[in-house]
Amino acid sequence: MSKGTHVLVIDDDVQLVDSVKTLLESVGYEVSFAYQAEKGVALAKETKPDLILLDIMFAGPPGPDGTEISRRLHEDPTLTDIPVIVLSGVKKALDMPVKLAPDDAYMPVEAFVEKPFKPKELLAEIEKVLGSGG
Amino acid sequence: MKLRTKFNLALTIVFVMLAAVITAATISYIESNTIREAEERVRTYTRAAWEIHNSKVVGITSAAELLTHMQTVRELLEDPNNEQLFTADSAELESIRAGLNVDILNLLAPDGTVVLRTRSPYNRGDSLTGDPMVKQVIMTMEGSAGDVLLDRERLYLEGPDLLEQCLDIAQEPTGMLAGAAVPVMDDGRLIGIVQMGSLLNGDIEIVDRIRDAVFENEFYDGKPVGTATIFLDDLRISTNVRYDQGQRALGTRVSREVAEHVLEKGLAWTGRAFVVDTWYLSQYDPIQDPDGNIIGMLYVGELEEKYLDLRTRTVALYLSIIMAGMVLALVIFLFVSRGMLGAIHELSEATKRISNGELNHRVPVRGKDEVGRLSASFNGMAEQLEAQHREIEQRRAELELLNDQLRAVNRNYMEMLGFVTHELKNPLASAMMSLYTVKDRYLGDLNAAQARSLESVAQSLDYFQDMIRSYLDLSRLEKGELDVHKVQFALQERVVQPTCAGLERELQEREMSVRNRIPEDLVLNGDPNLLRVVYDNLLSNAVRYGREGGDIVLGARERADKVVLTVRNDGEGIPPEKMAMLFKKFSRLNGPEHAGKRGTGLGLYICREIVEKHGGEMWAESQVGEWAEFALTIPE
Repeated sequence: MSKGTHVLVIDDDVQLVDSVKTLLESVGYEVSFAYQAEKGVALAKETKPDLILLDIMFAGPPGPDGTEISRRLHEDPTLTDIPVIVLSGVKKALDMPVKLAPDDAYMPVEAFVEKPFKPKELLAEIEKVLGSGG
Repeated sequence: MKLRTKFNLALTIVFVMLAAVITAATISYIESNTIREAEERVRTYTRAAWEIHNSKVVGITSAAELLTHMQTVRELLEDPNNEQLFTADSAELESIRAGLNVDILNLLAPDGTVVLRTRSPYNRGDSLTGDPMVKQVIMTMEGSAGDVLLDRERLYLEGPDLLEQCLDIAQEPTGMLAGAAVPVMDDGRLIGIVQMGSLLNGDIEIVDRIRDAVFENEFYDGKPVGTATIFLDDLRISTNVRYDQGQRALGTRVSREVAEHVLEKGLAWTGRAFVVDTWYLSQYDPIQDPDGNIIGMLYVGELEEKYLDLRTRTVALYLSIIMAGMVLALVIFLFVSRGMLGAIHELSEATKRISNGELNHRVPVRGKDEVGRLSASFNGMAEQLEAQHREIEQRRAELELLNDQLRAVNRNYMEMLGFVTHELKNPLASAMMSLYTVKDRYLGDLNAAQARSLESVAQSLDYFQDMIRSYLDLSRLEKGELDVHKVQFALQERVVQPTCAGLERELQEREMSVRNRIPEDLVLNGDPNLLRVVYDNLLSNAVRYGREGGDIVLGARERADKVVLTVRNDGEGIPPEKMAMLFKKFSRLNGPEHAGKRGTGLGLYICREIVEKHGGEMWAESQVGEWAEFALTIPE
């Protein structure tokens, strides 16, 4: 784990974002966050994080969901190299082959972590992704 | 054999037997009746024949009596030796004899001596006391009539031409005379006897008169229907029985049987007789002379052939009437039985159709007999059956509707359950993150009391997480959303190892180890996500119920067409009485040994549902106090 690694959390659940931020900062990550999908994409362009944690379902007015966001991030040449880990309670996405899903559920992402998760599980997944991809 | 065939056969047999019996009875009745009748008729004919014979005798007797009153006769008898008188009277009486057409006319003296014969050569002077007729007149002084025999000598005396005639007719030198002898009286004194008679030998007058009067000279098939014969002893001397050539059968003899019966025993004989060349229904009566000696027979016969044919025709007529009646009766019977059997056939067909589900089928009800009533009650039964069926159908539809409603309710319920559960995930996720961040000391050390307290909350959240997983699975299962997407996958890599990794913390806490004996390269055909759920549950259970510090053994055995997978722990085991409950929804193992080990009661139910959706089976085995093993099969 390298000190000062920047993680962007995009999730509409304020409490979850807060608890994840607390955890990640406690182990030395820099954390920024967005509660809305569009804002998250803008923030990513702006700050170029080392890793993005992305929710799939967003409450509130209709807008792009996590699947859509992941595609946008992937299609943006300046963002396509940033690894994405999906945090979701939606179980059906769990077994999608990473970056190879051929259908509507196609999500060009590195990993899934099913909600609810425990600190150890999240940290293990983050380290795995950063260790291999980054 | 069909009922109708049997019935008709039985009926026909009965009718044929009945016909046979009636035919036999009829034939036998007609036979005996015909014969009796024929015999009766022959007797009547015979009486008539005797009348004709007797009338001839009576005629002769009357003529003879008239002669006794003639002056010439009396004069000659008063003075028999008066030659002049003799010559004159002889000529006159001869012409009377010729006029009366009799063969003999003799005047006798009271002692029986012949005074005058009116036939050439007019022999006289001989005594005729041997003649039974003459003898009787001398003895009784009354007339005597009938038949007498004349021997050769007598015939010769009466006239050689008569002897000649008899010999000519039947080579028989004896004559049978039908005639009479009457006394000539003067003041109560017998002065002489007049004897008159006709030879029956060759005399066809009587027999033909019988034939003509009785049988009207009828012919049948070229043969005379009636015949009559006069026998001298057993010899035919006068007859209209003819040979084939048409010649009268004179000079032939009667059968031995008849001769014995009639001539020797003196009895009348009635029956079939073979006369010359054909059968006659006949009667033979004895002919007696005035002394009572049997001297011959009178025969009358009727052609049997006519009777046989009549009988045959009668039998044929009777039989055809009977047969026609029988056939008519049979036809009526068959017609009636056809209606009856038809109804039974219809009933049998209807039973077949109703049992094939054609409940609205009915049979026509004909008449008010047993069959009609049977048909009616059959229809009643079918009516009831149909009503019951309608009711059942209605109930079934109602139940189906209710079932649909219940399913919809359950589905709504499950959808809500799923939604609520899913919504619980987010707060749980942040709560769990926060709690575990503190508990796992990312935010600094905790004192013992804080750690114990947080541990307790953590356990509750873990249970909360289990519940959410299980209820989501159940919700999907009940909504029918749990589709099996089969792929070929490596069991170890995709399912077993991630599951074990997820349980690492719990395993460490209970100091348990997993002995993974599943081959690395084992590939299954199934849904890895669903099997992950199965292994999650089975391993969680094994950790929860296994012995602290014990082992969990994962096994896999390949069989012909399936793979058997096992998860075994060495805990308290499962009591036999709990086995049946194990895979039921919301069932938990209660008991002191499981205190504090809360489960959702859904895990094994969900596991079995998933395994069964793969076409496999799931079961448990246990040795109480030693081990418990869960096994499942996945088809190749």
